[in-house]
Amino acid sequence: MRTANRLATLLLAVALLAGGVLLAVEALLAAAGRPALLTDAGGWAATLGDTRWDDPAVRVSALVLLLVGLAVLVAELRRWSPQRLDAGDGWHLHRRSTERRLAAAAGSVPGVHRARVRVRRRGDHWWPRVVATGDPATRAEVEFAVRQELHRLTAYRPDRVEVRLSRRRAA
Amino acid sequence: MSNAAHRVLWTALALLLVAAGGVALALNLGLLPGVEPGDVILGAGLRRAWRLAAPWSALAAAAAGLLAAAGGLWLLRRELRAARGAWHGTLARPGRRGRTRLAAAPLARALERDLTGDPRVRRARVVLTGDPPRPDLWVRVEIAADARTAGLREHVGTAIRRYADTAGCRPAHLDVTARLDAPGPVHVAASGRIVPRETSWLRPGRRGSRGP
Repeated sequence: MRTANRLATLLLAVALLAGGVLLAVEALLAAAGRPALLTDAGGWAATLGDTRWDDPAVRVSALVLLLVGLAVLVAELRRWSPQRLDAGDGWHLHRRSTERRLAAAAGSVPGVHRARVRVRRRGDHWWPRVVATGDPATRAEVEFAVRQELHRLTAYRPDRVEVRLSRRRAA
Repeated sequence: MSNAAHRVLWTALALLLVAAGGVALALNLGLLPGVEPGDVILGAGLRRAWRLAAPWSALAAAAAGLLAAAGGLWLLRRELRAARGAWHGTLARPGRRGRTRLAAAPLARALERDLTGDPRVRRARVVLTGDPPRPDLWVRVEIAADARTAGLREHVGTAIRRYADTAGCRPAHLDVTARLDAPGPVHVAASGRIVPRETSWLRPGRRGSRGP
């Protein structure tokens, strides 16, 4: 979401800059009595002058605006995953890179394939959840590998490490 | 712009979109008093007022366009500056004859060089803010994928102590974020299994002695 926000802001900035310059130039040309360069303001005014409020196109446009606005609002107001994890004493770990590192540790256990790690949190506490395909008997080894990797990275010891192992489907 | 600033900006824009969509829908359904659903969007009265106000109406539109362009330019510069990572912070201290502001870039670069002296730290980024004798220190280190991280905190702590002694300051607040590089190239273990390099201690041959 952070990257989406930055990209959207960049697009908004470019749109504001280009649209603002175009509006200023066209308005100045109109004030000087010169013909417009790119836009047909007269045509737009005529279209809006012919369109009634109860037109179906207006309803569709209003609904699109409303739904897009609500979607953006929900996306911005919901609780985001933290960008970094508290590791104590002013130290933090970048969440994504930690998840990748822990996934590599879990995936290195023999018999485990395609391990994915997501950090879960409640309040100040966080713990990794490993979802992998492999032999369920390796669960303890996966948990040990993840704990060991966390220990190597930080002094933080999570209360628990969730491991979900599912058997690989036969081809 | 910070993440929080982006969030505030897009929350405000979303509220504007919801308000605009809601009002247009209410007008479409005839729920707002004073406007009939059969009325046109751009009435003759509005167009006449625009023509009567000419050329000031066009000049007002030009001014609005320039304001929008200035806003866009400001946003663009903030975004690009953040993307370049050119910000190193500013140290500031109020005095009797005003406020002294000091660009912290040279000081921050010195600490960055010291931090990257350790091969485990691939890149370091330092931002200094606050009062010069008691600055707030924001450090971001990128750790090489194949590096062992034991002792890294000590290295960063030592670099900061060295910096504090040299600059004659004591950090009031220290915030360090470690970003771990993606796991490096893998190697094939004796059993034929592919094992990422930094977790090679989990090779099947050594598993028994390290298990829980």
